[in-house]
Amino acid sequence: MLSVNNLMVFFENALALNDFSMEVKEGQIVGVIGSNSAGKTTLMNTLSGLIIDMRIKEKRKGGERITVYGEVLFRGEDISETRPNERVKKGIVLCRERHPVFPESSVYENLKIAGYLRKKSQVREMILQVFDLFPALVDLKSRKAGFLSGGEQQMLAIAMALVAGPKLLLLDEPLLGLSPMMQNLFVDCIKSLRNESGITVLLSEQFARPVLPIIDYGYVLENGMLTLTGTGQDLMDNPEIKAAYFGV
Amino acid sequence: MLLGTLIYGFINSCILALLALGFNLTFGISGVANFAYGAIYIFSGFLTWITMNSIGLPYLLSVFISILCAALIGLLIYYIVILRVKGLALSEVMATFGLGIAIMELFRYFDFVGFKYTLPVFFDGSIGFGEVYVDYQRLFIALIAVALTLFLYFFTRHSKIGLAFRAIAQDERTALTFGIDSDRIGALSMAFGAALAAIAAIVILPLGTIAVEGGYEVLINALAVCIVGGLGSTVGILVASVLIGYAQTFTANYLEPHWMMLVSLIAIAVVLTIKPSGLFSRQKELEERI
Repeated sequence: MLSVNNLMVFFENALALNDFSMEVKEGQIVGVIGSNSAGKTTLMNTLSGLIIDMRIKEKRKGGERITVYGEVLFRGEDISETRPNERVKKGIVLCRERHPVFPESSVYENLKIAGYLRKKSQVREMILQVFDLFPALVDLKSRKAGFLSGGEQQMLAIAMALVAGPKLLLLDEPLLGLSPMMQNLFVDCIKSLRNESGITVLLSEQFARPVLPIIDYGYVLENGMLTLTGTGQDLMDNPEIKAAYFGV
Repeated sequence: MLLGTLIYGFINSCILALLALGFNLTFGISGVANFAYGAIYIFSGFLTWITMNSIGLPYLLSVFISILCAALIGLLIYYIVILRVKGLALSEVMATFGLGIAIMELFRYFDFVGFKYTLPVFFDGSIGFGEVYVDYQRLFIALIAVALTLFLYFFTRHSKIGLAFRAIAQDERTALTFGIDSDRIGALSMAFGAALAAIAAIVILPLGTIAVEGGYEVLINALAVCIVGGLGSTVGILVASVLIGYAQTFTANYLEPHWMMLVSLIAIAVVLTIKPSGLFSRQKELEERI
């Protein structure tokens, strides 16, 4: 479904991603594991096309020079230069890190905004579906998103990404800042998304422990370089991963 | 006397709110302070006059053309000028202010000066409240101000473009992830702001003559209201309009009418000294703190 070939991303002269290649197959859950500043968010921004927008805006104000090499193929089509809104139309939807919600808008309005590119009737239907998935949001529907707890905001953020109608859902650190209980809830939810809705998921995470059991394939990033790949089980059994991420 | 001051103060407040709505809308959504706002206001006034008196089109058609042209100018300014300097606040201000001066002074150069440049009123006549007589046009202005405020409230909450406006205003990058094109929405916000300036011009200008100086005055008044209320805050704009509107009317009635303009300038100076983010910017301050 998605293949990334020899991707390199520079911010000025700093190399954020170095010769990164990966493959995501239809119906898989793929994980990108790495610590802070490993290049996970840069990868997500490159895949969602946000980096193109960042590049244009930085260039306009004479800011940081952002350069991207390599190719990104989505269902065989080169989307390296496709603008983010076009990528959303194709079904690539990113849920950014740190619960990206619109704080001044109500929960319901947030969901309506997320359906910007879809028909009104589709949006209404999708909102009902995400309320089924996250029943906690129903009671909070008219509350301002800024007043929700971190876990509730993350629920809303994922719900919003779902309303946008993803075929490939990119989740940037979905477990960040959540309690272990909440983390488990989200991991289950991601699994059921794939199993029940058939959505392909690519997630990046620094908490390897809850994530590794559910991923079909994983990539480990360190300082922008790919250091390890393998199935979830392979990675769990790997002594380096055990030492670095499980502390054993 | 007091009843008259109260009624005219209210109408003056409505005029100020009407002037500030468009400026505030553009700034709140795209972050661009459109200093060509006064010029677009005056341009719309003159354009309506020209289409009616030089070309001979009917009044309503002229009004329609003016509003459309103002919106188009807003779009053009955004795509041709603003986009090149987007993100550099000072350059945005200088570019739009320069353009504004050019537009206004071109009218002066082509001799659009004098008392013949007036727009017709929508409704003729007046109505008495006790001993105070208010002409229908002033009531019409108040009505339009209230109607536009309500329209904007519902538009931004229940239409696709309105929701995109609110999304971009809150978090541009997250809005992008849902397929909202920030440049397109920014340009639309500029067009909307310009169209609101045109509507304001068409209902307010019949009270006097269309003069180039009026453009500068409109810009100062819109700025004063937005600075006092807190840029980007609609509630702030409404409260600031009432405060400055009544302050101006009381100054005109109980002191000297020519001190009226001082009120806006003093309000700008005082607010910028004491609370630079404006009266109703609690949310913004909270954001800055976290």
